[in-house]
Amino acid sequence: MTTDSFKDLRTAPRPPAALPQTAGADLPSGHGAGATPGHDGPARPQRKPARRKGLSERNRPLWMLIPGGLLMLVIIVVPLLLGIFMSALSLDQYTLRKWVSAPFIGVENFVEALTASPLLHSVWLSVSYSLIAMVVTLPLGIAAAVATQNAFRGRAVVRSIFLVPYVLPSFVVATVWRTMFQPDGVIDSALGSVGIDAGLWLNGPQTFWTLVLVQIWASWPFIYLLALSGLQSVDHEVHEASALDGALWWNKLRYVVFPYLKGPLALAFLIGMLHHINNFTLPFVLFGVPAPADVEVLPILTYVTSFQSFRFGLSAAMAFVSLVLIAIPLFIYLRAVKLDDAETPGGKK
Amino acid sequence: MTATATAERTSAAQSFRPGSKRQHEVTRLLPGPLLAGILVFLCALVLIPVAYIFLASVNSDIGVANGEFLPSTFSLENYGKIWSSVGLATGLANSVVVAGMTAVVSAALSIATAYVLVRYQFRGRLTALRGLLALQSVPGTLMVLPVFVLFSSSASYLGVQVIGTQWGLFITYLTFAMPFSTWVMVTYLRGLPRELEEAARIDGASNVGVLVRIILPLSWPGIVVSGIFAFLLGWNDVLFASVMTRPESQTAAVALQVFGASQEGGAIPLYGQMMAASLVCAAPVVILYLIFQRYLVGGLTAGGVK
Repeated sequence: MTTDSFKDLRTAPRPPAALPQTAGADLPSGHGAGATPGHDGPARPQRKPARRKGLSERNRPLWMLIPGGLLMLVIIVVPLLLGIFMSALSLDQYTLRKWVSAPFIGVENFVEALTASPLLHSVWLSVSYSLIAMVVTLPLGIAAAVATQNAFRGRAVVRSIFLVPYVLPSFVVATVWRTMFQPDGVIDSALGSVGIDAGLWLNGPQTFWTLVLVQIWASWPFIYLLALSGLQSVDHEVHEASALDGALWWNKLRYVVFPYLKGPLALAFLIGMLHHINNFTLPFVLFGVPAPADVEVLPILTYVTSFQSFRFGLSAAMAFVSLVLIAIPLFIYLRAVKLDDAETPGGKK
Repeated sequence: MTATATAERTSAAQSFRPGSKRQHEVTRLLPGPLLAGILVFLCALVLIPVAYIFLASVNSDIGVANGEFLPSTFSLENYGKIWSSVGLATGLANSVVVAGMTAVVSAALSIATAYVLVRYQFRGRLTALRGLLALQSVPGTLMVLPVFVLFSSSASYLGVQVIGTQWGLFITYLTFAMPFSTWVMVTYLRGLPRELEEAARIDGASNVGVLVRIILPLSWPGIVVSGIFAFLLGWNDVLFASVMTRPESQTAAVALQVFGASQEGGAIPLYGQMMAASLVCAAPVVILYLIFQRYLVGGLTAGGVK
């Protein structure tokens, strides 16, 4: 889907004949010298002048799409297709140098990935970890947004603090939590002082929950942000009406305010899932590679298969499976977003 | 743009009857004690680990290994050591160069792309907009191998060495920043009135003229947001940088990750230096964010995507 939609972006600028012929070759000079002004004259009489969409119909500087489009074509779309092609090759450290002539083995990599590799386990881990983290961050983010909605002294400071986990780079978050989760580290000694022996955090089966905990810590502010934008769309009249009716705070939240949050939170849910499933840095830095089997989420498995086991073809097949996996939330997201509505600029609701 | 709309809305709500008690009663959502409880809990949740970064960075490694929260000794010497031991001097310099170039170029390209996407009708326009959203979600792990192969091939077929240089990283980050930066600019430019452009056109301005003289000066908030997000993408990336750099072109993120991983199995890991380096790597990002907080939060929610 990604590929198809992107092709259109590339082919789109071509049809109009008004394109300067050389624009594709060198943007900077075209930009500086103003290649288009010369076109102003001849382009105008070709079209009917009295149309309502006149401005956007004539003299369209579509060449401006070329540098960005070309870049995305060469570095995203071509590698994407290349990756899919590589998933059908028998590619290892010996054949990688001459990958063009590597043996073509069809779907064998996919068969191996699905039957003889931990891929399905990784898919399960990725999905369950993303879902659990998402379900826990929702109430945290909503609570934070509701708590900072009304003005109070120091609210600006609190709002800044809330966003700190989100702006800290993932590799910093992971390094810090990795230090805190060391055996006998600060978390163990804090839990020990209240009589809990939690066991190992960075090894063994509990690693899954370590990953979930750190992901929750790092990503709840995102829910908070989107919930806040939802709260700000609550009209003042609504507050007045529920105050007149004498609604209790809980009922007011439940029946009056929360319905406003549905749209932004559904959006946050989808984007959050996409980010969690794609998150490589956090598990990579938190546990290192090779990661414990219980946190071998999809990105880690793909990376290890490529750059530790050097099974490049197999890894490309795994990457393709993860593309299929994220295509599901992505598809819902793209269907839900209004691309072109001035009323909902963020594409929300 | 959502930011300004929101700001208007809140200010309207507040000016309704500023500061009055009854006004506060009407809009308030939570009873006082619960509100205080939530705030204290969440602030502690955030601030304790953040404070720990600093506290551990001035503590001794033994102290950190024994699980001290408050340091038993105090020393700032870790902040002197990290520049060479972690390789943070080279790392930060590389990060600043690569992420900075990414930010500037990506902002420039995305404003031109977004301008056309917002103001002109053409076939495939909606598909292009949808593509911008879709491309943001392409997993990095899917791209890293083919991009690596492509760049290596450019060395063997075209004779251009890309792997191991800052250019390879720059091109990669620039491309991956483009979809989001452009989307941010698209949402921003939609909020600008067309009248100014039309007036400029009547005065004979060309497309480029309109973009440079009218759109550009009006779009600084959007440009700042899309530039900063491009910067953060380069600054925060570990995946591509770990595959495509050599020690001398390493970014700060990879330097820290490699240093952390190399501490495994030793006697006592150099925790203090790890935490000091973490703090130094996080500082520019947090400072950038504090300076531009208003724009960034608006951009985040307007962009609707991280």
